[in-house]
Amino acid sequence: MDTFQAIFVQPWPFWIAGIAIGAFVPLFAWATGKALGISSGYAEMCSLGAPPGSDRWKLWFVIGLPIGGFAASELAGARGFELDVPMLASALGLGRAAVLALLALGGVLVGLGARTAGGCTSGHSIVGIALGAKSSLVATIGFMIGGFVTAQLLFRVLGGAA
Amino acid sequence: MKRAVFLVFGALFGFLLSRARATDYVAIENMFLLRDLHLFGVIGVAIATAAVGLFVLRRAHAHAWAGGPVSLKTKPFTRGVFAGGLVFGVGWALSGACPGTALTQIGEGKMYALATAGGILLGTWLQRKISARSTQQAQAKVAHAS
Repeated sequence: MDTFQAIFVQPWPFWIAGIAIGAFVPLFAWATGKALGISSGYAEMCSLGAPPGSDRWKLWFVIGLPIGGFAASELAGARGFELDVPMLASALGLGRAAVLALLALGGVLVGLGARTAGGCTSGHSIVGIALGAKSSLVATIGFMIGGFVTAQLLFRVLGGAA
Repeated sequence: MKRAVFLVFGALFGFLLSRARATDYVAIENMFLLRDLHLFGVIGVAIATAAVGLFVLRRAHAHAWAGGPVSLKTKPFTRGVFAGGLVFGVGWALSGACPGTALTQIGEGKMYALATAGGILLGTWLQRKISARSTQQAQAKVAHAS
């Protein structure tokens, strides 16, 4: 297997992906002096009308994310144009519009919850726990309980044997 | 120049999330359904790796390459941490995405994530309104009491 295939096309084993994401955090901190955090980048999008403050960098970081997604999927030959989420649609017997409405509702809860908790998977679960913060551990336990219960409800209770 | 640095780091992080399959709806749900522990493994190894790297960085009292100190403060333990965490978790399983992966999905051509990202933006805005209101009420109460 050649190197290009291994890096860009084949799925990464969990430990390689974990080391890469984990190493990103101190590298980013060392290069920029900042701690990685993404949900606050959405808060910065909400502040676009205001004069730029010290958190304006977060906006540029989150604009980079879809560029990375584009590159990864393009290189893997996996880029598509998907409007449907078959797993959710078939579990609940829903059409496209209803699925998109559920995703939007989920998004609202993600935004509301992250800003209430003070961070998301990046700022709390990875950076916060890595720094040994009690708040980040508690937030992450909340993330996992909420996600576990909801997934059981969607795919095992409501969705039957999806 | 500074903007470009953050843009490049954002793109690199999006690339890594995509390669880790964190942007895969089915992989997220199968993590919560305990059918596929891949993403638990990714998160666990990422935390351990970041912990070692941040420990070294703090120990070395390293200055940032861009100049100035490296700011690594832990987040405060507020009343909202657990409750907000639960709400976030419900949304995470419902949408199959967190704030970073929703934007990455859009770049991958998973256009349904426009609904997710739009929702996250709305939720962020709502939280700001709610917290501004409760701050105002608290201030009014203090003013009334004194």
